[in-house]
Amino acid sequence: MSKRILYPLFQLGNPQLRIFRPTFNLTLVRPGREQPADTVQFRIPMEMTKFDVRNYLEKIYSVPVAAVRTRIQFGSNKKRNHLNQRVKRPDYKVAYVQLAQQQTFQFPDIFPEKDKKSEEGSVEEMQEKFMEDERQRQKPDPRRGGVTEWFGL
Amino acid sequence: MAAAVTSRLTTAICRQFQRFVTVSSHTQPQYATQALSKFHSCQQRQMYDSWWFRSPINNRALHTSCVRKGLEEFFDLPENWGELTVKSGAPWTAKQLRMKSNEDLHKLWYVLLKEKNMLLTLEQEGKRQCVQMPSPERIKKVEKSIMRLDTIVKEREDALRLLQTGQEKARPGAWRRNVFGKTFWYRFKEHPIPWHLNSRYKRRRFFEPLHVAPYTRLSLEKYLKDKMRKEKKEKRNEKKLSAMFPKKTAHA
Repeated sequence: MSKRILYPLFQLGNPQLRIFRPTFNLTLVRPGREQPADTVQFRIPMEMTKFDVRNYLEKIYSVPVAAVRTRIQFGSNKKRNHLNQRVKRPDYKVAYVQLAQQQTFQFPDIFPEKDKKSEEGSVEEMQEKFMEDERQRQKPDPRRGGVTEWFGL
Repeated sequence: MAAAVTSRLTTAICRQFQRFVTVSSHTQPQYATQALSKFHSCQQRQMYDSWWFRSPINNRALHTSCVRKGLEEFFDLPENWGELTVKSGAPWTAKQLRMKSNEDLHKLWYVLLKEKNMLLTLEQEGKRQCVQMPSPERIKKVEKSIMRLDTIVKEREDALRLLQTGQEKARPGAWRRNVFGKTFWYRFKEHPIPWHLNSRYKRRRFFEPLHVAPYTRLSLEKYLKDKMRKEKKEKRNEKKLSAMFPKKTAHA
């Protein structure tokens, strides 16, 4: 379940293979096509298998897993660089994990819009302040009661 | 008389206070669980409420470990969502890690692994939405910590192996020669049958044939000449530079 490790040959009666420091990284992604409510989509390393994904989620994250399906996504080879050579985007493996025990998962919105405040002393903040002042200056005088500028002394 | 009354009063107050303290210590975990359930409900996630809180292991009054479990660990804390920058500490140094026990290192490995998974998820989602990920330097920091932890664990394994068996390398091997006369480090592999029965292994030749020997000598000669030439070129260049810039700074 780990890269760059030579596993011992399996012989009947040998102890179970255990990995103490797994090096695999899962990336939870928002599914492109709509998926059932209990399905979670991951990007996993090429070396990982369905069984590895199941063990990983159950042992490390304690998520109950019902089923795992995997496929390999072909990275596009269409892009060309400035020398007109093909540039390959790396392939990756995608795992669809179905959760057990009637659990559902929905990908949350992790980049919500928050009211942005520019930093103290930055260019944007000064610009904002300047624009605010200008707007204040452009406003007509409230004491004139809506009478136009040209009418008066 | 007055002193006696006041002392009795103070003892009564103390007793009451003690009772209050004991009561509060009993009720505290309940508050904690309530807060926890609120935390879960505020995130509007229905997935763990049923399963996680009903399981008997998690009904203990006091939680000492991290309570955030499951797929939520693939995301940052909800208060960090939408922030431009997220504060983070320095990566673990090798010096700090050397002082930790094996058990602590094992736990820390999983903490770092989960953190990296979280950051990769965040990065991917940012890429998808064409948004800059908050504080992308965190990935580098975690990677550095992981790398250092790995080296520390390997150091310990090496030390133990040296003490127990005296072998320097985890995977035994030997210097061998291939058919072209090149010397290389051959790493041994486990085989289910002994080597004299292994016909595929016996087909490989780990020696230099006679007709290759002169070429090996020639290749060595070539290598040495090349090395010499490079050294000479370096010296010549230095000499030229020192002639052009006779100051001491030219050598530096």
